[in-house]
Amino acid sequence: MRVTQSMLTANSMRNLSSSYGRMGQLQDQLATGKKITKPSDDPVVAMKGMFYRSNLTGIEQYKRNLSELYLWMENSESGIEQANQGLQRVRELTLQGKNGTLSPEDRKAVAVEIEEIKNDLVSVAETKVAGRYIFHGTDVGNSPIKNGTPADGSAPQVADNLGNSAIDAYPVEVSQGVSLKANVNPNKVFNQKLFDTIHNIQKALESGDDSALDSQLEDLDSVMNTLSAERSELGARYNRLEMVDDRLAQQEVTANRILSDNEDADIERVITDLKTQESVHRAALGVGARIIQPTLMDFLR
Amino acid sequence: MRSTFMGLETAKRGMYTQQGALYTTGHNISNANTPGYTRQRVNFEQTTPYPAPSMNRPQIPGQIGTGVDAGSIQRVRDSFLDMQYRGENQKLGYWETKMEAMKKMEEVMNEPSDSGLSKTMDMFWQSLQDLAVNPSNSGARSVVVERGKAVAETFNYLSSSLTSVRGDLKNELSVSEKQINSLSRQIDNINKQIADVEPHGYLPNDLYDERDRLIDELSQHVSIQTSYQSNGGASSPIAEGVVTVTLVGKNGNLAVNLVGKGGVKELKLTYDGPQNTVDTVTIGNQTLDVKDFLSQGEGKLRALIDTYGYKNKDGEAEGSYISMLDELDSMAYEFAKAFNEQHQKGFTPEQMNDPNFDPDNDTPDTPKFFQDAKNASADLDGVPKAGFAQRLQVADEMSNLDNIATAGADNPTLGDASNVLALADIITTTKLPYGEKEASFQGHFESVIGKMAVESQESVRLASNSNVLRGAVDERRMSVSGVSLDEEMTEMIKFQHAYNASARMITLQDEMLDKIINGMGTVGR
Repeated sequence: MRVTQSMLTANSMRNLSSSYGRMGQLQDQLATGKKITKPSDDPVVAMKGMFYRSNLTGIEQYKRNLSELYLWMENSESGIEQANQGLQRVRELTLQGKNGTLSPEDRKAVAVEIEEIKNDLVSVAETKVAGRYIFHGTDVGNSPIKNGTPADGSAPQVADNLGNSAIDAYPVEVSQGVSLKANVNPNKVFNQKLFDTIHNIQKALESGDDSALDSQLEDLDSVMNTLSAERSELGARYNRLEMVDDRLAQQEVTANRILSDNEDADIERVITDLKTQESVHRAALGVGARIIQPTLMDFLR
Repeated sequence: MRSTFMGLETAKRGMYTQQGALYTTGHNISNANTPGYTRQRVNFEQTTPYPAPSMNRPQIPGQIGTGVDAGSIQRVRDSFLDMQYRGENQKLGYWETKMEAMKKMEEVMNEPSDSGLSKTMDMFWQSLQDLAVNPSNSGARSVVVERGKAVAETFNYLSSSLTSVRGDLKNELSVSEKQINSLSRQIDNINKQIADVEPHGYLPNDLYDERDRLIDELSQHVSIQTSYQSNGGASSPIAEGVVTVTLVGKNGNLAVNLVGKGGVKELKLTYDGPQNTVDTVTIGNQTLDVKDFLSQGEGKLRALIDTYGYKNKDGEAEGSYISMLDELDSMAYEFAKAFNEQHQKGFTPEQMNDPNFDPDNDTPDTPKFFQDAKNASADLDGVPKAGFAQRLQVADEMSNLDNIATAGADNPTLGDASNVLALADIITTTKLPYGEKEASFQGHFESVIGKMAVESQESVRLASNSNVLRGAVDERRMSVSGVSLDEEMTEMIKFQHAYNASARMITLQDEMLDKIINGMGTVGR
């Protein structure tokens, strides 16, 4: 084959420019830290990248949702704890008042203390977290107690819809399609029976009706049982929440790693490749310099 | 009997011819770096020997040579390589143009990234999740509305950017159209000049070079074939004649002349339809349906038509940009429709906070979340899908944050978020109809981007392939036709020596004549 100067020049130019192209690609990878800069570099990586990103966003969001669960559960727990203490105290006071050794004045004083506890329970039932009533299911805008503590000394009345099972659960999503209930069942904590029982005990003590106190005590025990059952359910759910938290933390690490495996450039390899490419380019330039060879002209006089 | 002075004539012919060859060598050296130049060589021919055979020929033993003549000056070129070069050049024109167009599309779509549609959608989903956790929080509500606006604006931006790139492609189409016509006219001009020269027996090599260069350039735009017809007269047998440039398809069907003996036929595109797609291609007075034209091999013009959009066999608009715009429209439309339907199933705080609200009997009275910018009041069922991505907008009613329906129909309380969760699911899991298949929004968008990426990757790969192939053919062509300075130097020395030797022959003749004239018949002087 006949080889001419212009062929050598054209070839050398073509090789130099493709060498520059490869070097540019490696420099892009090094500068962005990504294997690809546009989808056509690797369609599969691009598609997977979109999916993994959404996946990671989801996990981050679900982690964010957890803090709301913690807020609700911890506040519910402390509300129930306070209610439980109040009820225990009511029980002690009832037993004290029932044994017949107290004077009518002392019984009155006991009744007054029970009334205070009753008022305290009303205010616990009206607990608000970030502006929302937490003991009223999903009806967070309305107080679970109708009209607060009645001024006429009658029993506090709970909201009409407290027994409506539709509002029972305030769920928070913790992964795709899985939610955890953040609240306690409103009808099993500060329900009408609780307020009625305490109110009746107070009235019985005030009126000295010892005989009624026995059945009231039974009612009180049943209220406390319901309450502690709900409390242990909450505790169990709190455990589950902590497990979900651990799992999401694990998933986040995994999702980040998969995302990175998929699209992040292997820096060591890129640097090695770049170094190799640099020396190839150097060689190509060196070859280019040799194209201007002496011609026959240099030897002719 | 031969002439006394015959040797002089033979030597003179030698000198003239070697001189002509030296001039041609000089021409080659001067044009060593001229693009499209083909090296030329002088075809040396022996002149008719003496005596010529005839009745009254002198009776001498053998024929005596009478010297040399420059028969013709010819280009050293292989037309088969030209054909190969043009074939690869039109492929390169097609794939490079397509690659550029697809690259622009990828830049507009900007995926995967932290600012593309996919991320905007993820952020919208996040805002819905935040609202689901805290449905009565007005901060979370306003974030939902703002992120909803971001989704609408991203759709608007993508669609309008693609439309404007498509406008650029149309400009490129008309530039390419003009270039084709201008090249055809230039080729025609040279054809005419050649037709003036050839009948006189000359070979207009430099015009041939220029014509071949123009045809090479034309081959980048459209798929062509060339054929040649003699100009008649006293044309040399190696004269090329008038070129006819024909547009051809892969199977050689539907051949239309662009340039030929009849002059130039101008190529013109017409546009039609709602998306102003390419409708017909007119060449001279012959009108081709664009789908027939598209069977005409490759080339830059076809890549532009393919990406810009054309009317296909069923009369529908087709093309890379058209289909991406259609995808965006359909994604925006189906998403907004499903989102609105779900939204309107829920109860808004606005309704629930009404003192006359009856949770047991009232039905949701919820406004749309998204609307059509051109027809704000219309239900999305009734608005056209075409161009919807540019018209998607968050509904005016959403300026009142309490108009976001959070509560589900079976539990109309402020803390219920079942409707928001259902709305969030429309982004991630709910199957929406896209064409004949159903897919989730995210899944479908991933496949759209994947399809685009594969199309773009194919064009990048084939552009680099055809570039290598064209380079290889070009190298072979240069190997045949390129000027080698070393070779020209060698030729120069060869011709120079022959010239010198011919001159010496004249000196010899001179001495011989001197002998005859001054030295003969002087016996005894």
